[in-house]
Order: sequence, then structure tokens, then C-alpha cells
Amino acid sequence: MTQEWYEQPFVFPKWANYLLPAIVIGVAGGLFYVPTVVGLGASPKTTAVGYSPVQPVPYSHALHAGKLGIDCRYCHNTVESSNFASIPPTETCMNCHTNIRSQSDKLQPVFNSWATGKPVEWIKIHDLPQYVYFSHQAHVTHGVGCIECHGRIDQMEQVYQAKPLSMGWCLDCHRDPGSHLRPKNISPTDMNWTPPEDPAQAAQLAADCLKAYLIHDTPYMQSCSTCHR
Amino acid sequence: MKHHSAQREYWRSLAHLAGSPDARAAAENEFAAYDPDELLKMPAVTRRRFMKLASASMAFAGLALSGCRRWPEQKLAPYTSRPAGRTPGIPEQYATIMELNGVASPLLVKSFDGRPIKIEGNPTHPWSQTVHGRSGAADAIAQAAILEIYDPDRSTAVINRTGNTPIAGNWDGFTGAMNPIIDTLTSSQGDGLAILSESSSSQTTARLKAAVAAKYPKAAFFEYEPISRYNELAGAKLALGQPARLVHHLDKAMVIALFDADPLGTHPAHVHYAGLWAMNRPNKQGDMSRMYAIESAMTLSGSVADCRLGVQPSRIGAILSAVSARLGAGGTDSSLSADEEAFIKPLLADISNNPGATVVMVGAHHEPAIHALALAINQKIGAIDSTLALLAEPNENVIDHVQSISDLTNRLKSKQVSTLIILGGNPVYDAPADLDFPGAMASAKTSIHLSLYDDETSRTCTWHVPRAHFLEAWGDGRAWDGTASIGQPLIQPLYDGKTSDQLLAFFAGEAETESDAIVRKTFATVDDAAWMAALNVGQFEHSKFKPVTTAAAPQTYQSPPAPKAYGYEVRFLQDSKLYDGRFATSGWLQEIPDPLTKIVWDNAALISRKDALALDVGIGDTLKITIGNQSLEIAAFILPGQPVGVIGLPLGYGRDMNDNVGANVGVNTYPMRATSAMYFSPAQVSKTGNYYELATTQDHHLTDQDGIEMRQTQVGAKHTSAEVIRETTLAEFKRDSRIFEKNEEGGFSLQLYQPPMEFKDPHQWGMGIDLSKCIGCHACVAACQAENNIPIVGKDQVLHNRQMHWIRIDRYFKGDADDPNPEVVFQPLACQHCENAPCEQVCPVGATVHDSEGLNVMVYNRCVGTRYCSNNCPYKVRRFNYLDWQSQDPRHDKYPKPYLNIPDQQQINTVPLVKQMMFNPDVTVRMRGVMEKCTFCIQRIHTTTISQRARNEKMKDGDIMTACQQSCPTQAIVFGDLNDKKSKVSQWHEDKRAYGLLDEALQTRPRNKYLAKLSNPVET
Repeated sequence: MTQEWYEQPFVFPKWANYLLPAIVIGVAGGLFYVPTVVGLGASPKTTAVGYSPVQPVPYSHALHAGKLGIDCRYCHNTVESSNFASIPPTETCMNCHTNIRSQSDKLQPVFNSWATGKPVEWIKIHDLPQYVYFSHQAHVTHGVGCIECHGRIDQMEQVYQAKPLSMGWCLDCHRDPGSHLRPKNISPTDMNWTPPEDPAQAAQLAADCLKAYLIHDTPYMQSCSTCHR
Repeated sequence: MKHHSAQREYWRSLAHLAGSPDARAAAENEFAAYDPDELLKMPAVTRRRFMKLASASMAFAGLALSGCRRWPEQKLAPYTSRPAGRTPGIPEQYATIMELNGVASPLLVKSFDGRPIKIEGNPTHPWSQTVHGRSGAADAIAQAAILEIYDPDRSTAVINRTGNTPIAGNWDGFTGAMNPIIDTLTSSQGDGLAILSESSSSQTTARLKAAVAAKYPKAAFFEYEPISRYNELAGAKLALGQPARLVHHLDKAMVIALFDADPLGTHPAHVHYAGLWAMNRPNKQGDMSRMYAIESAMTLSGSVADCRLGVQPSRIGAILSAVSARLGAGGTDSSLSADEEAFIKPLLADISNNPGATVVMVGAHHEPAIHALALAINQKIGAIDSTLALLAEPNENVIDHVQSISDLTNRLKSKQVSTLIILGGNPVYDAPADLDFPGAMASAKTSIHLSLYDDETSRTCTWHVPRAHFLEAWGDGRAWDGTASIGQPLIQPLYDGKTSDQLLAFFAGEAETESDAIVRKTFATVDDAAWMAALNVGQFEHSKFKPVTTAAAPQTYQSPPAPKAYGYEVRFLQDSKLYDGRFATSGWLQEIPDPLTKIVWDNAALISRKDALALDVGIGDTLKITIGNQSLEIAAFILPGQPVGVIGLPLGYGRDMNDNVGANVGVNTYPMRATSAMYFSPAQVSKTGNYYELATTQDHHLTDQDGIEMRQTQVGAKHTSAEVIRETTLAEFKRDSRIFEKNEEGGFSLQLYQPPMEFKDPHQWGMGIDLSKCIGCHACVAACQAENNIPIVGKDQVLHNRQMHWIRIDRYFKGDADDPNPEVVFQPLACQHCENAPCEQVCPVGATVHDSEGLNVMVYNRCVGTRYCSNNCPYKVRRFNYLDWQSQDPRHDKYPKPYLNIPDQQQINTVPLVKQMMFNPDVTVRMRGVMEKCTFCIQRIHTTTISQRARNEKMKDGDIMTACQQSCPTQAIVFGDLNDKKSKVSQWHEDKRAYGLLDEALQTRPRNKYLAKLSNPVET
């Protein structure tokens, strides 16, 4: 009668000799692999902070929004009513540039567009993945300033991506929205406003803002469905 | 738990009832895989390619790790000048119409950045407005037009077949070639010109036909529709002296008698009629109408009728005649069978007990005399002007379509036609077979076919002109009651297609050549302000037809003698999805299951169980059906409720189109149709011994008694059974309104799992579905498909249980297998959004979780495709993307390509650009390897809440409607906030009929509750 497996003496098979070296190699490899993946994944190069492609027209936000003080919403006029802030139509440029610098070489693509009816093809900088449904309307109408995500646009000669726009970065705010909000009497486009430095005042303002804008509670703010559909 | 109906058996198919091993295996194995033997048979080349791709993808994975790359550069192209009122990112809606068989369905089409993406009913138009609701309903066919306009198979060019090889050209080339022909025709006053068109209610088309007739006095006009309403109009002419449009007020009728009529399914006004019917199911007073159906097919109306009798089509006249004679409205009282007598006895009693609240309807395929008789009955029982309005048809001359196409064929055969213009339609495919229309066409020197596709008729003609889709062009038409409605385009013609109006205008030499100018000219008397107002609502209000003033004369109908010997009769059926075959090119419609048979991508000979036993055939065994000297072979499908002695043959399949999804799907039944027998005919039927595999979805996703038993045997005995369907009669419910209340005794008081979270948000979404109102029409399935970017998978994959519809309609038959008139219960089933969701407990990666408003959400990016969630879902509502369906052609071969590809490039690379235009940008397009399911249209919830919060508006009940709810013609679905105690959904959840599916057994606490079905049969 043959022995059942449980009746046999408890002896390691021969291949078990290789187990220890395999584990050592695996752990050593993992020590290299994990930091590499995390490091690369979180690097600014991956999140594209600082991404600043050359646009077909060297449009200067520093000049228009900063020096001339044009409100962001003069051009990005759907920001409060749509998911998209929307790139202004050529007509918006032509409102002024029919008269101002109407011969400029740099503006040639704009004039061409106006003459031919073909759009100026701008290069997208703030590019969220397509499974993220970000709404400008939801944020701008509820006390989130442009500066929160876009940085000091009013100081950028050529626009670059100022923030990582990663999910972790979004959640930083969604888990603590109060400290990123501005009161109702301050325009969301105001680039110079800063929250009070005194922590007590800041906390008071945060609490007031949460109440004034009826901001959702944390479970809602970090539900998957809030941003993904 | 009260087992008020525990003794009744519920079953979905005969195989299921018999507990066949196949059905049990299908239920046990949810993820039917490829047969390993089949995989071994996979060609070696393909296998090698698979390995190559697999190793290549490993290499790519390595590259991706080291070289982190940004997404492809994207361009932003703003308007040069943004139109007034246009906000990028905010969809717009335009009112338009879809005309089918001379009746316009009013629609509201949603356009996103200039692309039409979703079709709904027009809520401002009486003929698609849902009763009580603010939404408009549209049927599956109308909603699937979104796929049609972006169909990559559409014809894109003028095709010249005058030579030996077809030459693709453009409109200018066509007009250039036509000019000499027009000159010749002009000089001969149009001698030899024949124009064949579809039925149309367009005033523009009528105006242009008159213009063509004025320019070419000798031109001849013909009209053909394979499914014609001629009999109905001719019948009205017999009874009233003029053709009339019958407008039924089903909301006022407490007794509805259907004689082979199908007001809820195939009637041109079925969307509106279904809404009216549902008002009394039950009504506010808690009463219900009673619907009698005596029919020669299993129809949707018959399936929800309270009393139903299946008979051979030739019996309908005799039975109606007997009813008429006994009511004193004329006709002969011939001898009826015992079944028939038993059926009409309570009907006659109900008619006399409900004066003025009764209506009799006859199916359009019966002869004029029967329609005249029905009108005489309606006159006698006081239906006219109460439950039935008679409106005068604008055209006094009723066109007999069979006669018209016969006349045209005779002219062609005698070589009297030199130029034949065919505006739409597809007569080569669907003209009566005995005419040999395709053969006759050869005698016309020039033949022109205007069509969306280069189809059978186009290939027989010398010229094919691409047609503008109705979403691309202007048009007008009249709704069922005659309301003049306008069709406006949502987009420029994609392929420079022309409307039939444009083609007529070209031949008439009109100054206007663009479709907007042509239509505007028809309404030239309307000033611009009134025109804009009409465009806004899609109609000219108060423009319905004038009422008929004459009364219906009593009829002397002589019913035909009953046949001496028992024989089979074939009944040709308007298909529930493909209509007469013109929608065979739509993959969506092909894959939507037939409401009753649940067959997809096929048609079958519908046969009763008794006949099947007599012929010794089972489902899929093919039959040889012979009428005269024509015969065809087609698979049999045993349909419970199919009348004995009647073989139902759905029309519209077996299209002969080279490279189209609809090509060679099913069997073309038109060759059996002759001018003498267009709708039914005696036939010989025999068994062939062959077998054909039909794909049906009926045994998929079993959640009923059978499935529970299996689960019980697997995890140990449990002592309760969950009832999937709850149902009783109105009388029973009135006796004991607490019949549906749950009794805790039998259920589990302990939950298997802790509730995942508490729900504190101000909004808690919930749904309610009233089983009394659901008619199984599948409009919700089409709506969901369009709204949520749901792909189609093809017949082969459906056979593997891989269809992707997020909402399905379970159809249960009740009764034993030999019952000739089984009761049918439809149960729409989507994700139940259980508060205590079994799927969430088993997901290893947290890809399905709850949000704070009580929705069970699916996070595609986290999903790794274990499919545990679906395994653990008691409702079987989760769908897995086995392949990248969006980029697959549904006719792909058995082992579709590409197997592996770089995921984020896959769809950009492979979904045809024109198909990408169809996607709803508010919903993620899922890729291969992720699970998906109903989201309660979360995109609609968020769009509404975000904009309302931005404007400081308070949400009202009904502000958010899910796609299925919006399209439901009977308003069987409600959606809303359960925290708002006044909302309709809260009221439904508190209703005495409300129950959560399997809730008592599994404690899943679904957010969707069903209202138990009530029916109103005659008490015995």
C-alpha cells in the first residue's frame, strides 16, 4: 500500500534550495523597481509641470491680463456657464486688433484666420485625461480662483502648466476645500488676492466660505463619481 | 413572505421550463468561454500572430516604463466668430421629425458641438409628449437613426452604372448627365418619365410633384410601401365615403378590443398610443382598462392584453363579423368555435356595460371591408367622437400600393418607361415577388435611385444618388393627427447627399436647389416670426386634419367560409426592429433583442408549440415553407402564444448588400410575398432536418427560481425563495391591497455584510419601475445605448453571452408550456444600485464603490477585469468588455483582431472617425478589459446639479431624467431624489405594490424598486 502524501516524511523538495536566492534577488529587484516606478510616476516630467509649447501666435498673458488688466472672462467668457472656459474666437482678438497693431507680423495667423474663416490652432496645455470630467463652471462659481489651478497666468509671457493636475493634487483640495476658497466679494479672476496669513482668520474665512458656497461634504467631494463618469 | 403566486410557474423559454441541461449550463456558466476544442482548431497563422503581438506588447511595456511620455499633442480650434447664443460645451437641442410610411414622428435631437448625438421625442409635440411627464418619448427605431447618420457603410458618392463598371462621381457629374435627358423629356412633355416614391405626408413633396407634373404632363407617378396602410383608408372610404385618419383616444377607452391590431407595437402612432393606454394601467382612481386582443401573431399589445386569443388570420373577419352582428351593426353571425365564443362573450358584455368608453381596432393588414365593419361597430357603440376621432385625410385619392407597383411594372414590361426615378424605398428587395420588378426595370434606359445606401435597387439602376439623412436636411411632414411638423437639419450633409425634394426640384427646374429654401417656399405664406416659432417647437400648432362629418354606414360584410381542412397559414410580420428591412443596416437595431422572441441578428419562423410537436421540430430546426411555387428554408422558433396553425415570418432580413452589417442577416421572406397575398396566405410547411443556430438572449443572466435553486444547491440549503416577479389581478388587489407587503418571517433579518457607508448627502437617487405599465418595447434599451456609448458585439459574441446592453428587458411567460395564451411579464433590469451591494464586497481593487449619493459607481481605471463583481451580482447586470468592441466590426471573424494593442492609442487608431462623432462626450468610452454597468445616467445628474448650483436654483422633481426614463412611452420608469418625500420616486417606493428585487432574500437594499404588475382579466 502506497503512502498518502500526509503520511510521507516532511522533506523539502530539491528545488527549495533555490528559494532563498530567488527571494533575495526578488527583494533586491523590488527595492530598485518600486522607487523607480514611483519616482518616474510622480516626476514633474510625467505630470508635465512646466509644459510650455510654442503657440502659433506669441500671445502674452503677462501683457493682456497682467499689464493691461483685461479680465480673464473677457476672452474666456463661458467659464461661468460651461464646463469649458473655451478659447476665444478670432473675433474676440479682432475686436481690438482691427485697430491696434493691425499690421503686426506676429498677429498674422490671427488675421489669416479672420480672413479665411479657418481657426487658429492653439496647442492644448492643460490636458486632463478624457475620463476626468472637470467643470470650470462648478469651480469658478464656487469661490475657486483661476490662480488655484493655473498659477500666475498674469505673469506668464508664454503660458505653461503651473500645477501637476494629477489626481492626488486634485484631492488635496477636495479633501480640504475651505482653505482654497475666496470670499464672494473677491473676483475669482483676481490674481493678487491672498488668504489672510493669521491662521485663526484663515480658518474662519474657510469656514465662512464653505457655508456661503454650500460646499459639499467630504464624502461627496471624494466620491469617484464626482469627477469620473 | 406571502406566496401569493408561488404556485405559478415563471419561465423564460421552453428549454428553461423543461430544466434542460443546456439552459442550466447557460445559467451556471455566466462567462461562456470559447470551446477549447475550437481554440485548438484556430488557424496556425493566427496563433503565431497572437504570440507575436503578445511578445511585442511586453516589449512596449518595458519601453513605456523607461520613456514616460506626455499624451499626444492636442490642438484647440476655436470658432473664428462664435454664433450668438452658442456656448462651447453646452449641448443644444433642435426639434425635427422622422418620417416613416407617411407619418412623421416628432423628435428632439441633442447636438454637441455641432454633432447630433442623441434623439429623443419632442416634448412640445402632442404626438411624442409623454402623458403627465415633461419628456418626449421616441421608439427604438427613431433613436437608432443616430447610428445611421454616422454609419461608415453609408453611400458617399453618386454612382454611375450606365457603363460596364460602376463609376463613382459627384452631384455635378450627375446633373450634367441628366441635362440632355431633361431636355428630351421636356420636349416630349415627359413621355416615358415615371417616378416611384415612398409614402409621404410632406407638403413640400406634394408641391414639387405637382411642379414636376406641370412641367411633364405625361409623367406618371407611383407610390409603394411594402407595409401599406391602404386597407385602412379604403375601409374608411367604404364606410364614410371618404378616407379618414383614425385617431384613437385610448385614455378614454376602458374597453379596448383589438382585432389583429397592435396599437402599442407596430402602429404608426404607437408611441403616443402606448402613453394613452398606460394612463389607465391603473388610473388615478385605481381602476384599469381591459384590453381584449384577438390576433394572428404574438404582438406587444397582445402580450400585455388582459384577455387574448390567438387565431388564424383568416378567422379575424368572421369573428369581427359575429361581434358586429350581435351588436346590431351589420355583418353576418357565422358559427364560431368554442374558444372564440368564450372569448367574445365577456367582450360583448363589457361593451354594453361601458357605453362610449369602448373602442374596436383592426390591424392595417386586413381587407378594407373589415375596416369598414369596425367603423360601423364603433359608430354603433358610440366610440366615434369619444374614444375615436375621425379626421379627413388630405388626399382624397387613396393609393393602393400593390396596384401602383403592379401598374409601374406593367408599364416597364411594355417598354413605356424610358426614365425611372425611384425616390427612396427599395423595390428590388421588397416589391411583391410575382411581379418580377427587378427584371422589368431593365427596360428603362435611365433609372435613378436616391438612397442612403448603395443597396439592391441602386445596383439595379443606372444611377445611384446618395440621399441626405433626415438629420442632415430640411423637410416637413404630418404627425398621425395631421399636425404639420418641420424637420430641420442638425448638421451639413456628410457626403453631399440630396433629399427627395431636392431631386424633384432639380427635375422640375425649380429655382431653389437647397433643401432649406425648398421647404421654406412651401410655407411661403408664413411670416418669418411664425416660421421661427414653428421651428422652435417643430410644428405648426393647431394644424391637424379637419374632422370627418359623415357617420359610418352600417356594413353588410359577408365573412368568408371557414376552411374545410386544417392547414397552415403564413403571416408576414412587420419586424419590431427592422420595420420592412430599411433599418437592417443598423447594428443597434439588429442587436436589440426582439421583445418577444429575444432573437438578435436573425429572423425565424415563429411557430406554436403544438405545431412544432406536430412537425417534430425544435428551436433552430429549419422548416421548408412553400406558398405556390415559391419556397424558403428558415429556422423555426417556438414562441409561446403563437396561434396554432400560423407561421409568423418577419420581413426585412436577408438583405443582399455586399459589405454591410445587415447583409445576409436572417432570411429574406419577401420572395414569398405575392400581390394576391401580401400579409397572409395558406402555406405548406415541412421539416427539412437541417439545423441553424439562432442567437437569443432569453436564457442569459437568469435570476429567477431556477438560478436561485442552483445557488442554493451550491452554497447549502436556504429556506426562502426570492420572487423576481410579483403580480396579481386588479380584483385580487382590491380585495387585499396588502398582498405585496413583505413578511419578515421568511426573510433574513441579519445582513451578510455591513453596509458600506452611511448616506448623508441631501440627494439620494432612486428609481422606480412599474411592471403594470411596461410593454417591453425596448425604447429604453436604445436610449441607453445612445446615451452611454454602448457598443454592439455581433451575433457570434451574443452567442457567447457577451452582449453589452446596460438595461435588458426580461420577458417571462406564465402558464404551462401548452397554454395557447400564456401571460407575459416584462421586467426591465438594469443595475439596481444596491445600498448593500454584493459586487462591492468582492472587488479586489475597489473598482466598484458607492458614492455619497447612494449610487454604485464603476471606476473603469481601477478595474483589472477579474469579473468577480459580475459573478457576485444577483441581478446579472454587469457587462464586461472582452474586446475593444467600439473598434470592432460586429461581423468580425471568430477570433477578432487586434488582440493586443497599446491601450491609450487603441481607440484613436481604430474607431472610424465618423463613428467617433457619435459618442456622447459626457460618458467615458470604455476600452477592452473593464467591467461596466448602468450608472443611473450620472452624467445627467451632474450636468443638472452643477448648472443649477451655479445659478442658485433649487432642484425640482423631474429635473433629472435618466435616458431610459425619458424615452419610455408609458412612463413606466421614474427617477429622482428619495430624500424629497414629495418626489414621484419616493411615492412609488412607498406604494403598496413596491418591492425590491430579491431584497428580502439577500438584503441588498436596491435603490430601484418595482411596482408589482396588475392585470385586469375577466373574473371567472
